[in-house]
Amino acid sequence: MESVRKKDVPVVTVLDPKFKYEVAREPGGENIKYCFQCGTCTSGCKVAELDSKYNPRKIIKMVILGMRERVLSGDFIWLCATCYTCHERCPQDVRIPEVMNALKNIAVREGYIHPAFRAQAELIAGHGRLYEIDELANEKRTDWGLTEIPQGCPEVAEIYGITGLFDLLSREVGGKT
Amino acid sequence: MPGMLQDAGREPRIGVYICHCGLNIAGVVDVEAVRESARFLQGVAVVRDNRYTCSEVGQKGIADDIKEFKLNRVVIASCSPRLHEKTFRTLMEKSGLNPHLLEMANIREHCSWVHYDDPVAATQKAKDLVRSSVARARLLQPLLRTKGQVLPEVMVIGGGVAGISAALYLGGMGIKTYLVEKEPSIGGHMAMLDKTFPTLDCSLCILSPKMVEVAECENIKILSYSQVEKVEGQVGNFRVQVRRKPRYVNEDKCVGCGDCVAKCPVKVNDEFNRNMGTRKAIYIPFPQAIPPAYVIDDENCRYLTQGKCKICQAVCQRGAIEFDQTDQTETIEVGAIIVATGFEPYDPRGLPEYGYGRFPNVITSLDFERLICADGPTYGKLKRPGDSTVPKRVAFIQCVGSRDQATGCAGYRLDGGTGSRGESTDPKPYCSRVCCMVTAKQAFMVKEKHPDAEVYVYYIDMRTAGKGFEEFYQRGRHEGIVFLRGRPGEVEEKEDGCLRIISEDLDSGCILDLTFDMVVLAQGLIPPGGLGELAQKMNLSRSEDGFLMEGHPKLRPAETAIDGIYLAGCVQFPKDIPDSVAQAGAAAAAAAVTCSKESIEIDPLGPVIDEALCIGCRLCEVLCPYGAIKVEFTDKGPKAKSIEVACKGCGVCGASCSTKAITMKHYTDSQLAAQVKAILEVV
Ligand SMILES: Cc1cc2nc3c(=O)[nH]c(=O)nc-3n(C[C@H](O)[C@H](O)[C@H](O)COP(=O)(O)OP(=O)(O)OC[C@H]3O[C@@H](n4cnc5c(N)ncnc54)[C@H](O)[C@@H]3O)c2cc1C
Ligand code: SF4
Ligand code: SF4
Ligand code: SF4
Ligand code: SF4
Repeated sequence: MESVRKKDVPVVTVLDPKFKYEVAREPGGENIKYCFQCGTCTSGCKVAELDSKYNPRKIIKMVILGMRERVLSGDFIWLCATCYTCHERCPQDVRIPEVMNALKNIAVREGYIHPAFRAQAELIAGHGRLYEIDELANEKRTDWGLTEIPQGCPEVAEIYGITGLFDLLSREVGGKT
Repeated sequence: MPGMLQDAGREPRIGVYICHCGLNIAGVVDVEAVRESARFLQGVAVVRDNRYTCSEVGQKGIADDIKEFKLNRVVIASCSPRLHEKTFRTLMEKSGLNPHLLEMANIREHCSWVHYDDPVAATQKAKDLVRSSVARARLLQPLLRTKGQVLPEVMVIGGGVAGISAALYLGGMGIKTYLVEKEPSIGGHMAMLDKTFPTLDCSLCILSPKMVEVAECENIKILSYSQVEKVEGQVGNFRVQVRRKPRYVNEDKCVGCGDCVAKCPVKVNDEFNRNMGTRKAIYIPFPQAIPPAYVIDDENCRYLTQGKCKICQAVCQRGAIEFDQTDQTETIEVGAIIVATGFEPYDPRGLPEYGYGRFPNVITSLDFERLICADGPTYGKLKRPGDSTVPKRVAFIQCVGSRDQATGCAGYRLDGGTGSRGESTDPKPYCSRVCCMVTAKQAFMVKEKHPDAEVYVYYIDMRTAGKGFEEFYQRGRHEGIVFLRGRPGEVEEKEDGCLRIISEDLDSGCILDLTFDMVVLAQGLIPPGGLGELAQKMNLSRSEDGFLMEGHPKLRPAETAIDGIYLAGCVQFPKDIPDSVAQAGAAAAAAAVTCSKESIEIDPLGPVIDEALCIGCRLCEVLCPYGAIKVEFTDKGPKAKSIEVACKGCGVCGASCSTKAITMKHYTDSQLAAQVKAILEVV
């Protein structure tokens, strides 16, 4: 696989030529192979301006080259803010934010979930929302004449079960449950 | 040959030939299975498969069979009839059969090539097509071909460098040539350029001698300020209706003194200078214009719009101003036509993120040519349009409106999401081929005028294939032009009119945030406005890119699918001046070959009208796109009459006739019905 010879200089000796087809089959990834590396996406990307780790053009090149592990395990694919600026401007209609979604979907099936997203998913599973309603909040609501909010939300957990999200969240790297 | 016509009376005896086309067909389609499927079809006398039916051996086999099996119909399942129909028709004629008793099934383009991934389905489709061709062949009727005269004259439409060159070649061969140009002067885009790559010679210095030569050549007649209205007829004998707009200035009397211009009170934007300067209502587009006569712009002339003025007429000592001129329509008969209507520059307002039309210091490459030209609005001084200061930092952005596949987004940028292509603001998927060199040239010219200027070129790929082109690009780098790989997403205007570009420099890996005094957009080349209508008048096809389709992409690049109509220059696809001139030579040669023939055989397609059934309803007359069928009053009442020379055999009249009075020759209802019925049979 990939070995690191010098510090910070990745030397890649094995590429997965099938990866680009795999991404192209995933909903959202259809147009990835059209990319001609013009850099328009990165030029206008606000995330790229803030964080050098995120470079949509490079991510697409890595997919086309077949750096499967590196792309799926990296946290950079989770950084896209889905503002659609690049989507609007890309001359090859690559639909970059949707490619990022496709990559995220594959990554989750392979057991790679960015910790921040895992934490969110678990919060929602437990509470039915992105934050926990504590007793204090409910006391305040009562004071204001509002109804109390139940702490857990079994319906959400049920949806997780039916849609297989629990299963996805518990996957190990490599895709095994 | 009357004998040939009788042949068809006998019971059909059909020979069926299935071609392997090497592995082109046989690599996918099971040719033997197709052959066996045709063996017992009604009327079939012999079936064979050939490695190459078009080869000497293949053809001889068919000729022998025609004799031995007394064949009177032939079905060939092979490539598109566009390639070999002529070959096989000639073979039939030589073997004593009427050439219209041939039927072809296209099992290459329609089967093996498109269904290469599904051999079973491709084979089934080939069987279906062969069966339906045999069904039609049974009903084919012999047709008599007529001979048409050939007029030894040519019309060239479009007077850019391609049209000019074609006209000069033809004139030089002694062929009478009409050069139709819609603008007041010939010259086209080349007349607007300052210098030309890669040698940097002055564009008009090399073009204007050719323009003068055209004016002086006794075989060439220039019809300037003219448009083609209608094209009738066919190879050898086209009748073209040309409408000439009034110039209001007599070309023969005007000596170009310019007295009128000095006095004309109306100033308008000068389109020749890309609206960066002004001209008068009476004007000459540029000093070297051919014909060298002034013209009055009827949309802006005070007399022609408000009924008062005529100052020019009062000052003109030659009495050249003629306000009583009107539109003139002329019908010109020629044997061949060359279409050379060039291109139109892409309008970058379709990519609003680059700010063209909003920010005065964002210009296009054609604007740049005028801006740096000695005859341009700034007399050759490089000044930015916003405030007339000299730009010291200039950026060029490549591929503007070219190499852009973004149907979805590009569509709703301007037209609300229809994604339609064909508008001058819709980006195009192809590479415009000349703009890399245009930018290399223009960047060089900035450095030439101001060696200390900073010049940056934002590109995706630099394409400099051509004689001397790569060397020119190298010279530009040596002069200090910086080429940046990375297409900017946006141009922002600052308060001082300067322009900020943020881009990814792919090579250094940095995000660059740079500010320039002026930005030049390398606009693409797109099909000229009105090309669709012109193509329709001549029944010409356009390729997916919108340009005119050539006869064959490799072997007939200057021809079209219509005999007698040829192509030259950018109207076929963007190209530079040397390539436009070369294609003009090819088109002129092809037109000359046509014109050198004594007569030409004409396909006898078109309607046959049964007068007993025709009720004179005029449906066909209204629907015929070529005005080739007219209802006339006869002693039996109003009856449709076909105008054979104008008919293109499209079949609209036949399909529309409410009483089935019209039968299309070679495409009769019974022939087509038999074909459809056979293809739908479940076997
Ligand atoms: C900014 C720019 C710079 C360039 N620089 C260079 C260079 O340095 N070197 C080089 O080799 N090439 C250069 N080119 C390319 C060059 O301009 C073309 O190769 C050349 O002009 C093509 O000639 P043409 O006759 O095919 O078309 P055009 O020049 O477009 O001429 C077509 C003519 O047909 C007329 N016409 C259009 N429609 C009709 C109609 N319906 N009826 C009658 N007439 C009609 C037009 O008015 C026009 O006169 C440049 C192009 C651009 C845009
Ligand atoms: S803008 Fe589109 S074509 Fe250009 S690098 Fe990004 S994804 Fe690729
Ligand atoms: S008549 Fe028209 S063209 Fe002549 S001077 Fe007056 S405005 Fe100008
Ligand atoms: S010639 Fe160059 S600038 Fe023009 S479209 Fe092609 S690659 Fe882009
Ligand atoms: S086939 Fe009929 S409709 Fe078509 S061009 Fe001829 S007359 Fe007109």
